[in-house]
Amino acid sequence: MDIKAANRDGNTILSVNGRIDTLTAPELEQAINTEIVRGNKKILLVFSGVSYISSGGLRVLLATAKKLKNPGDKFGICGLQPEVLKVFRLAGFTSIFSIYPSEGEALATW
Amino acid sequence: MPPGDGQPDSVQWEPVPGAPGAAFYPLIRKIDAVSSNSYLITTPDVIILIDPGGLPEQAAHLFGVIGMCQARDARPLIIFLTHAHTDHFVGIQADPACAHPDTLVFAVEQSGAYAIESGDTTVTQSDLMQAPFFPMKVHLHLFSRERAYPSEDMSFPNGARITITRDQTGAAGLPCERIVFGPGPALTVYHTPGHSPDSMCLQMGELLFTGDLLFAASPGIAGVTGWSQETLINSLGAVETLIANGGIRLVCPGHGRAIPAADALRMLPAVRADARNLVNIAEMEPDRAARTAAFAGDCMEQVNEIFTIMSGRLQYVSFILDELGESGIADKSSTLIRGDMIDELLEAFHNFAEEQRKGLDVPIHRVLKAGQVIAKLERTFNRDELPAIIDPSLVRRAGRLLSDYTTMLRGFTPPSECSDCDLNTLTESVVTGLSVPPITDDEVLSSADDDAAFSRILLARIGTPPLLADVEVTVLSEGDPLQVCIDREHFTDLLTYILEDLVGTGADRIEISTRHTGRNAIVTVAGNGPSPGALRERRTWRFLQGLAERTGGSLTFHDLEGNPQFEFIAPAV
Repeated sequence: MDIKAANRDGNTILSVNGRIDTLTAPELEQAINTEIVRGNKKILLVFSGVSYISSGGLRVLLATAKKLKNPGDKFGICGLQPEVLKVFRLAGFTSIFSIYPSEGEALATW
Repeated sequence: MPPGDGQPDSVQWEPVPGAPGAAFYPLIRKIDAVSSNSYLITTPDVIILIDPGGLPEQAAHLFGVIGMCQARDARPLIIFLTHAHTDHFVGIQADPACAHPDTLVFAVEQSGAYAIESGDTTVTQSDLMQAPFFPMKVHLHLFSRERAYPSEDMSFPNGARITITRDQTGAAGLPCERIVFGPGPALTVYHTPGHSPDSMCLQMGELLFTGDLLFAASPGIAGVTGWSQETLINSLGAVETLIANGGIRLVCPGHGRAIPAADALRMLPAVRADARNLVNIAEMEPDRAARTAAFAGDCMEQVNEIFTIMSGRLQYVSFILDELGESGIADKSSTLIRGDMIDELLEAFHNFAEEQRKGLDVPIHRVLKAGQVIAKLERTFNRDELPAIIDPSLVRRAGRLLSDYTTMLRGFTPPSECSDCDLNTLTESVVTGLSVPPITDDEVLSSADDDAAFSRILLARIGTPPLLADVEVTVLSEGDPLQVCIDREHFTDLLTYILEDLVGTGADRIEISTRHTGRNAIVTVAGNGPSPGALRERRTWRFLQGLAERTGGSLTFHDLEGNPQFEFIAPAV
């Protein structure tokens, strides 16, 4: 898995590529936590390169949602591939996170 | 069986209990289908190697150890095979020692010896395991019908001299031969067919080497060419008696760790009971292995998704309860599924399948690996209590995926119970079940005064949002009943999988219609979303088609101007 970080207008964009599984979920968690510790609390995950997410990966996302729930915080995910979107929908996650079709559409609403 | 990492898990010299002057060196591998354990035994008279294994590096390691033993005290080497399957011997063929056949003496039960000498790729499982071998001379045919009894002195080109005596009934009623190498401890071999016609157990002192006897009733192993239910049951019973009679401390299997005799005595009746249930199972030959491997891949794809969804759903419930300040209730629910273990198991299968794709793809290895993962997954979720919290359909289908694969692996056909029913009524019933919350508002309100009932109902209410709650669903059916003969439960699963696929990938309008055309009844399911997963993923589509067949019909797909449309077709009655 590969994670690229970028900052656009005060928003932190983490573009993830690869599988989020037992081995890589902690890497994602670390990358997110690093941004939060730095004070970056508007985080958008770009998942267009994510083909698979395990329950461990889902856990990381829920933990992030708990950390970014204060006024002014933002947490969203965009560009979900159909397989991952299906897991999100059927597990109920689409009612917890803000899901956007693309990075542009996400940032336009932030 | 899981893949081994090629490294021995346990290697050290130990004295052989009950055999003064003898020592043994167990090379215990992590369990896999590629290579067996190996056991080296030294006595003052001889070096015995039981099952060199299926890997050249394993054989090379053993020959290195044997070389050190020879350097200290030169003695002849005799290699015994518990049976002539390639994972127990083929590794030795890469060793330079094999170029000088007279330096090695092989001892194999007679029918196995013939198979090795003639290059029989079926009896040896060379075809099934895709492990080629060249024919070898077997110097000592055990349980030979031609042997002169009661005893026979034999000598071999490498200097080994033995006296062999045979007892037709032997201990516990097993045919046995006693092999004396000199004044030191002797070896007793018992003919224990069942896993294969040539299977033997070997006893040195208080050690009993059992080859694959203890796994012979396991899914995917039962039914291999040469397997026999009747002789296996007899052999298991006789070995149980042999151990119960005393004089055996440790059972050393062909795969996995050594087992104390008391534990083996507890295992053997269970293995025998398993074997008794294996009536008329299909033979595990290369074609069936390929079909089962394909089903394993399709099945694991669904298992992966459904277990991730179940685990995710529980996390969702936990998250919401936490938000509501009800984390105590959430804690109780989190014990019902082992998400971490599920992830590890699914990851292990994924990595294994990837390795297979990159290298030599051996279907039987995938078959056994999937069987092992599925057996462990059975223990990761509580199928009795989970349906009270998350969609019972998810739990039911997860359980059925696992049991269908295990059924197929055991050599049976997954059950299909077709009966006459009205397809209109059944379709409407499935759609209603996926549209209405299982817990009503009234039930939530009426539970408010009872803490336990409120917890239970709150969990279920959060965890089981109806799949079709936010979807505009239209069901159109011709007025008359549409009589078909299908398996209702499989149809329910099939329609649920299709609807989940459409909803999960973004459809918010779904039209379901039933009609009668000629001799067929047809259910059409059309959504407005993008291309569903069933079409993007070949294995998902193949899985759904297989499920439609087990339902009693067939499944087709049409792309109507970018909108997916499934059609289930079953003969009308």
